[in-house]
Amino acid sequence: MEITRGQKLKLPDASIGGVFDVIIDASAPGMTIDKSCFGIDADGRLSDDRYFIFYNQKASPCSSLSLADGAFKVNLSTLPPTIKRLVFVITIDGVGTMSALGQSSFRLVEAGVEKVMFPFSGSDFASEKAVMVAEVYFKDTWRLAAVGQGFTGGLSALLKHFGGQETTQVVPPPAPPVPPAPPAPTAAPKVNLSKVTLEKRGDSRKISLAKKSSSVPIHINLQWDEPNKGGEPAAKAGGFLSGLFSQKSSAVDLDLGCMYRLKSGDMGVIQPLGGYFGADSESPWIRLDKDDRTGAAADGENMYVHRPETIDLMVVFALIYSGTARFSSVNGRVSIKDGETETEIRLNNPDDGKRLCAVARIHSDGGDIRIVKDELYFTDHKACDEHYGFGFRWVAGKK
Amino acid sequence: MAVSLTKGGNVSLSKEAPGLKAVLVGLGWDARATDGADFDLDASLFMLGENGKVRSDLDFIFYNNLKSADGSVVHTGDNRTGAGEGDDEAIKIDLTKVPANVARMVVSVTIHEADARRQNFGMVRNAFIRVVNQADNREIARYDLSEDASVETAMIFGEIYRSGPDWKFKAVGQGYKGGLGPLAASFGVNV
Repeated sequence: MEITRGQKLKLPDASIGGVFDVIIDASAPGMTIDKSCFGIDADGRLSDDRYFIFYNQKASPCSSLSLADGAFKVNLSTLPPTIKRLVFVITIDGVGTMSALGQSSFRLVEAGVEKVMFPFSGSDFASEKAVMVAEVYFKDTWRLAAVGQGFTGGLSALLKHFGGQETTQVVPPPAPPVPPAPPAPTAAPKVNLSKVTLEKRGDSRKISLAKKSSSVPIHINLQWDEPNKGGEPAAKAGGFLSGLFSQKSSAVDLDLGCMYRLKSGDMGVIQPLGGYFGADSESPWIRLDKDDRTGAAADGENMYVHRPETIDLMVVFALIYSGTARFSSVNGRVSIKDGETETEIRLNNPDDGKRLCAVARIHSDGGDIRIVKDELYFTDHKACDEHYGFGFRWVAGKK
Repeated sequence: MAVSLTKGGNVSLSKEAPGLKAVLVGLGWDARATDGADFDLDASLFMLGENGKVRSDLDFIFYNNLKSADGSVVHTGDNRTGAGEGDDEAIKIDLTKVPANVARMVVSVTIHEADARRQNFGMVRNAFIRVVNQADNREIARYDLSEDASVETAMIFGEIYRSGPDWKFKAVGQGYKGGLGPLAASFGVNV
């Protein structure tokens, strides 16, 4: 049976039982398209993120939903009763929009027999980067709907759609859409020993990996000033309560860290909190050297990226782990050295009250990598993660 | 407690709300949550005689003719997006003023520029029609169309019709090919 966008049917009417495969074929030249499935509750929320099935989480805890060889395996009868809706989604990783899709299809296959086919193509879309292709949902009985609607904001917009307001966390600031990297100021400077400053948000610089000597890692360094040195630190304004809370804030502990996703699909977080220091000679080939608790160490905190060519996306962040959350008082700066060129990024638009600053984004760009200054401030890791769409699970931690 | 109807079901409004004089027919749907052109749904009402046709073109109540000649039916206006809680469009009917030669009032909803925007009712979430007693704002009947809406671009949501001295409401949920024009023509409107 072939269905079109907007069409709905009851699974029993198409003689479909509770066990079937979902196969999505969607591709476009030069684009990477990921497939995922959201197990949603009655309120339309992803209340249990173990039911977000994607390349990095291939099965739900109950094994009723899994992803193998590009196909989703579904067993509706063993799903927990809280899961009322399975939304099958495609997202574009990197450049491109859904309008470039070639002839594509969503197929529901039971015991090797195709029961339903929903064809779609780029002409159904415009600038979407994430599309809900179809959903299997329970309303009196299990049903299927061909959705074919999506979001230009990609995976992060989708995650928001499925429960942005459910957490008690402060919602991240309306993140200014990251402007497309300005056309590279033609030919990266050939001058050696040069220093490039990424002044404004969105400024970027491409690092050619072809020329890079593989033995020298990219060196990321974070430095900041201990606010107490200059006399009265933070907490001047804010009255009694802020004074009370900032009494013990004389030592500000700023952490360097990163969230990364490699081309292999491996992803994770490197940071002193939790003791995730990474590794030099195995995945992710990124290592953090130490945790400077006070800003006193002359060389700050350092991270080494040994295999930049494996990076799909890396977000370098600075986190105020303890002390008053005031980036304005610490004069933070990050330098990224590749070979003989140093890229400097100053945190010159501090947003006080937010503890985490996503300083720069390093992403693959053709065969090379590009560093983009983001300097976006977030309340916490989770908010940052939601903005960039990694999809980690977060629990509170303490050093 | 309002009567919840499924497709084809009906209820006697007069029995559910004794002494009923005036109703509000509310129509609603969810504003588009995804990116793309808004869902602009338009409610219309056809006052039909025993023969199933309008008595004149003035019996076609829609966004360009918001009030019936006798004043018994008033469309409260156009909502272009579906934004906001509750009814997105509403039609008020003073049943005591509806002329005796009007046997049925059919309430339909069409998607504005559905073809150009490549939209259909299956893409719209949580569409409903409900009938409210104007005297106490109590909902008498409701019909949730979500699962009955599919690839149609025009749908008859429901109808209010005479049954002897009483008024009844039927949940129709019937799709109609073509847009508002052909639908109106089918009821005898000159379009």
